[in-house]
Amino acid sequence: MTEAMHLILIFEDDQAIQNVLRVLFEANGFRVVIAETAARGENDARLHRPDIVVVDLGLPDRDGLNVITAIRAWSPVPIIVLTARTAEAQRLAAFENGADDYVTKPFSAPELLARVRAIVRRHVRGELPMGMLELGDVSIDLGRRVARRRDGRDVRLTPLEHRILETLARHGDRIVTHAALIKEVWGPHRNDSRALRVYIGSLRRKLEIDPARPKHILTELGVGYRLVIDAGVEPGG
Amino acid sequence: MFTRNPASIAAPSPLTARNLRQKGLAFAAPLRRAGRTILRFATDAPQPHPPWYWPDYLRALAIPTVTTAIAFPLSPYFGLVNIVMLYILGTTVGALRLGRGPSVLIAIANMLAFDFFFVPPVFSFDVEDTHYLFTLGVMLIVALVIANLMVSIRRHREIADAREQRTAVLYAMTRELAVATDAQAMTAAAVRHISAVFHSTAVVLIADARGCLSPMSPDESVGKEAQRPLPAFDLEFAQEVVTGGERCIKDAIYLPLLGSRRVRGVIVVCPQPPARALPAEQLNLLDAFAAQLALSLQRARLAEAAEAARISAERALLRNTLLASISHDLRTPLSAIAGAGSLIAQPEYALNADRRTTLGNLIERKARDMSHLLTNVLELMQMEFGSATLRTDWHAIDDLVALALRTNEARLAGWRTVVNLPTDLPLIMVEATLIVQILSNLLENAAKYTPPGTTITLSAAVEEKSFSLVVADDGPGLPPGDPERLFEKFQRGRSESNIVGVGLGLAICRAAARLHGGDIRAMNNAGGGARFEIMLPVETQADAASEDEDRDTRR
Repeated sequence: MTEAMHLILIFEDDQAIQNVLRVLFEANGFRVVIAETAARGENDARLHRPDIVVVDLGLPDRDGLNVITAIRAWSPVPIIVLTARTAEAQRLAAFENGADDYVTKPFSAPELLARVRAIVRRHVRGELPMGMLELGDVSIDLGRRVARRRDGRDVRLTPLEHRILETLARHGDRIVTHAALIKEVWGPHRNDSRALRVYIGSLRRKLEIDPARPKHILTELGVGYRLVIDAGVEPGG
Repeated sequence: MFTRNPASIAAPSPLTARNLRQKGLAFAAPLRRAGRTILRFATDAPQPHPPWYWPDYLRALAIPTVTTAIAFPLSPYFGLVNIVMLYILGTTVGALRLGRGPSVLIAIANMLAFDFFFVPPVFSFDVEDTHYLFTLGVMLIVALVIANLMVSIRRHREIADAREQRTAVLYAMTRELAVATDAQAMTAAAVRHISAVFHSTAVVLIADARGCLSPMSPDESVGKEAQRPLPAFDLEFAQEVVTGGERCIKDAIYLPLLGSRRVRGVIVVCPQPPARALPAEQLNLLDAFAAQLALSLQRARLAEAAEAARISAERALLRNTLLASISHDLRTPLSAIAGAGSLIAQPEYALNADRRTTLGNLIERKARDMSHLLTNVLELMQMEFGSATLRTDWHAIDDLVALALRTNEARLAGWRTVVNLPTDLPLIMVEATLIVQILSNLLENAAKYTPPGTTITLSAAVEEKSFSLVVADDGPGLPPGDPERLFEKFQRGRSESNIVGVGLGLAICRAAARLHGGDIRAMNNAGGGARFEIMLPVETQADAASEDEDRDTRR
């Protein structure tokens, strides 16, 4: 897939980081628009219709979290937060406001590029159809609720495990916050993360090749979980 | 109240004199039931008998009567000399038990009885032979001298007893004050003792630095049983006592607590009933109580000040070491970055692509080191100086271990990592970032101090009430010396190595573990290699998940 015409809008007030980001993305075939303030950036967003947005939370005129909310109000464009704020509460707030990913400063340029590419690719591909899911050597038919290993053995998932997996799959490989996951699986009246953690553990034991080092069901500390679907395997269905 | 009956002194009931004294010194809670009686006895004993207490005079008259009744039948067989001796014996016995006045009465009555019943002519006060006048005179004088001696001996004994009791009472309070560690416990103990000894209500007012008084808040720990009603007191008057520094009596007794430099507070004591004035002896005892409390409060204050001084010295030391280390550990990579940057930027050097790449990598690596150091320093500061509240939640241990491994994936590329966790581990209530941080630091440490190819094992075990996480390796093991030293700030495994980092990693691990009420320790494996054990307390959790599991599997 080529990113030749992909436009990236960057909210960043620091000159040095602006330079680094411009060089990084232009060298990798993006068109780059940089906004120094939240007001400028929101304007640019409406004007240029970017394919992806990178937001620094510490902007001179407004908190970046407000920018996320404002853009989310009218656009599903993927948003990556790039910030020096590392506190868990900040990460959670960013995701709850609609961010798609969170990268902390100091960032590694290759890592940031990889995340941006992954999100753009996913966004272009669109939401995953509810169908077959390939995780390592297990393929899961979400519709019929059957899971099978490559060697033909059945993997038995309980109804709740199925629902968790289905919810994670529906969000592609975006992070699903604990609260959202609990609400979708158990309903709105549950406020206890313990059961969720236990079920995630048992899902990993059933699906991951090495449950101690999960590759598909990943924990985002203090925020939630993310399902990583094997790269290159297009969901059938 | 008053020891009017002399028998209570001379013929001890179970609650008097010697055995009481022993109890007073021996028992731990001296002011319950039995103690009250002792103390009452102790404080009341020094008071003198009133001079005209008539029952004693009636008792005094019994002595000549009884003596006469015994002596009369014996008179045919005894000479008059021996009868005189009997009367003198009676006087002695009487004086032993009664006061001065009754004793004098006995002496006179004895003389008259002897004259009436035995000196011829009998049954008359007349004296036949004038020699007997001399006998009667000497008899009276001897009896009076004996009575006087006896009374003063008894008086001295009473005073000695009272003094001893007072010592016991003070000692009981002093002992409790000595065990108390803070001002609150001290005032509570003092109030309790004073209330019991003086049958009064009492309150301690503590003066702040400006001398303003406020009542010491009641100690929650003592429970309802010890809660006493507060006496009504006049705060303004108490304030004047602080200024004056002397005992004053108004509706209540106000005693200043004298510190070395200023008045530390005031005890207000209201004897019950309020109208009752305390005799001088008791006021002196009360002064002694106040002095004792003042001394103890002074001691508590000094201890507090010493502790504060120790903490601030420790912080100053930490700050200085931190500054020294940071400035070194930040300047070194900074100069490398600045140097590399200037090399790349100067066109006249005309660097080839290879050199540029090398310099670029160097810049990135050094910047990353600095960032890592900064994160560590900030985190440690937050844990040590910040508000140490944890944002805990339930977490699965395997999840946290996996996160730590993922974070260090690149660093551990050349090492073999083995995860060895039981499947039935309980969820733990922790702040996840801190636990991941501990594991991360330990993994990083292992990568720093063992050669590539070393196996690093992560394992866990649940014990009765605690949970332990172990990071072990089969590398060269800990450096010689006390392993505890490793957890001090700015300690490196090898002191003269060029390994990056200010040696904060393990200090952070310890701070984080202790915030959770646990700890971390280091040792060498029996089979070689280093071993770090993190101990965390396990909180019991309601089985929310298994409930679900039941419902979930039945379908």
